[in-house]
Amino acid sequence: MNGWTVTATAALAGGGAAVVWGVATGPLRRRVIAQNLSTTLFCSALLLLAQGYGRPSYVDIALVLALLGPVGTLVFARLLAEDLDEDPPRARALTWRAVGFGAAVVLAACVATGPGRAMAKLLVTGALLIGGTLVASRALAHGMPKGEDRHG
Amino acid sequence: MTRRTTLIRAVSEVLAWWAALAVLWLVFITTVDALELVVGAGVALVGAVAARAARRAVDAE
Repeated sequence: MNGWTVTATAALAGGGAAVVWGVATGPLRRRVIAQNLSTTLFCSALLLLAQGYGRPSYVDIALVLALLGPVGTLVFARLLAEDLDEDPPRARALTWRAVGFGAAVVLAACVATGPGRAMAKLLVTGALLIGGTLVASRALAHGMPKGEDRHG
Repeated sequence: MTRRTTLIRAVSEVLAWWAALAVLWLVFITTVDALELVVGAGVALVGAVAARAARRAVDAE
């Protein structure tokens, strides 16, 4: 056990439980937010575990998750657009808290890694994670741009 | 726009995408060796052509 694995365990136990509870219960607006923030949480946990166990390959999984997670949320935002319009999800404080946690994890991992290609990879992952979470959160709160449906 | 300038623009766009994607590949790999460089250059070219096609598809809307 070290500080990295302890933090990852705490994040996975506390945040993971909250995310599963949020996704499984309550109104739609709460479920989509929990789904969006689950990406931020699990990606941060993977970055922590990569440091804790000294396995840089975990960063690859975090990178893929940071890329595909927000895309998944955008699919939900598009498919559930009508329901979300009636009851738009707004969780600005919670979103920024999750993003702050992700940023802190990326920063700590960067400090531990030191300058180099590995750090650049961490920064790309962090940028994708933070940018993706914010874009997806914004799409959920304000709806997707409504163009004419050209396919039907 | 003549065919010549169109071609030059297309090639320079693909080259720009290729350079960006190749740098990304270099950052993401663990060990830099000859095989990785060859594979990276190859897949970056595929990605660059796909990126230009996607950019044109979005612009055409």
